[in-house]
Amino acid sequence: MELILEVRRVITLYLPDRRLQHWRDALPDLLTSCPAGRLDLHCGDWSLTCTDLRDLQRILEVSGRQIHRLETTVPETVVSAAAIGLEGRLWGDSPPDAARESPSPRSLMVHQGTLRSGDHFQSDGSLLVVGDVNPGARISAAADVMVWGRLRGVAHAGRDGATGAKIVSLHLRPLQLRIASVVARGPEDQPVAGMAEQARLVDGEIVIEPADPQSMART
Amino acid sequence: MSTTRIILICSGKGGVGKTTTTANLGIALARRGVNTVVLDADFGLRNLDLLLGLENRIVYTAQEVLAETCRLEQALVKHKQEPNLALLPAGNPRMLEWLTPKDMKAIVALLEESFDYVLIDCPAGIEAGFKNAAAAAREAVVVTTPEVAAVRDADRVIGLLNTQGVSPVQLVLNRVRPKMMSTQDMLSVDDVTDILALPLLGLVFEDEQVIVSTNRGEPLTLGPANSPAAQAYTNIAGRLQGDDIPLMDPAKARQGLRAKMRKLMQTKIF
Repeated sequence: MELILEVRRVITLYLPDRRLQHWRDALPDLLTSCPAGRLDLHCGDWSLTCTDLRDLQRILEVSGRQIHRLETTVPETVVSAAAIGLEGRLWGDSPPDAARESPSPRSLMVHQGTLRSGDHFQSDGSLLVVGDVNPGARISAAADVMVWGRLRGVAHAGRDGATGAKIVSLHLRPLQLRIASVVARGPEDQPVAGMAEQARLVDGEIVIEPADPQSMART
Repeated sequence: MSTTRIILICSGKGGVGKTTTTANLGIALARRGVNTVVLDADFGLRNLDLLLGLENRIVYTAQEVLAETCRLEQALVKHKQEPNLALLPAGNPRMLEWLTPKDMKAIVALLEESFDYVLIDCPAGIEAGFKNAAAAAREAVVVTTPEVAAVRDADRVIGLLNTQGVSPVQLVLNRVRPKMMSTQDMLSVDDVTDILALPLLGLVFEDEQVIVSTNRGEPLTLGPANSPAAQAYTNIAGRLQGDDIPLMDPAKARQGLRAKMRKLMQTKIF
């Protein structure tokens, strides 16, 4: 007798960013682009109760999908999952998959458009914003942060400890700058118009200087 | 899709003039002959009816319409002087939990059949109340004042509106004090538009008449457009309909006042 093992196709469903949209609102759209079957549910940093998970399960079941496994960065969600008999897995602070692997400083994430108060844009490599970063918005990257526009929010370069990371902007007037584990308040005087500036770590302190195009080519 | 314009009037921060703007715009649009309905989505703290002077005429709300205990026509409150304007309270202040985005869409779908403009008065904040109010909106007017906190909150709201696909989003800068702007004691118009990066639909100057009219329940735009704020709201209504009306210039407004003063001094005192 021949034994045929069924190959399990892993389908992954990611709940949306908690800061941008509620998962209940996003679900109908997410499901249209997700095939039926058993799926891994990545909950990000959503803290889901048993009721939430049961609702989620019901919505998925109606459309012919079952939750195979659940992944989250929030302990409460794992507890709720266990309570209703789902297999849950807890990740550390960073999101699963790509982020778990070593951050590649060569990867560049680009965001086009204004980042507004409350937005938080992150990258596991370098990050380029084509537009303004408004007061109240945050950007962070494992490597460099570049803003082709005005940087007036909070920027964090070298999030995982890379002390060589830089923050570059056409108009560098952030509320706060962070490089690796060093934090500094932004400068208060107005920058010289038309001069791109960069912030980097020198002897454990953040210094701001005119941007050096040659140093950017290396990253 | 119908041609009805469904406009959310929101701000994030409270007290910047959402409800005043909704009431005045509603009247101004109605006076231009368009069939307008103002929907008070801030039903927990509802005061759009107060501003319009219609508080004592409310019998039903949208809640009863959706529950089919009354017809839509019964719940709509027609304005006394402007028959083109109707008010629909979304709910009763005591029933806070009932409205969902789905309900909102259902209400607006009903209103769409008989009105050209639906103005939705949004509650302050960005929580459930905002999300419900925004659920059915196609475009938005963000009201803000030249203050750091109001601009910051408006920025947050604009970001949320963008993720919900509401477009266009336009800006009304309320309670502008030309004198303080000229002495740089207040954020300038450019400071605000610089951060928010939105098309400016109108500037409304600080005007004591607004307080008087609010307490009376007669929006300024009902009367002759002799107060600066009434003129501003009338202009905004025109721009919403595509008229090309130049924006008021705070610097000129100030000159205007000074010129008037000088004239007064010359004629009456000297």
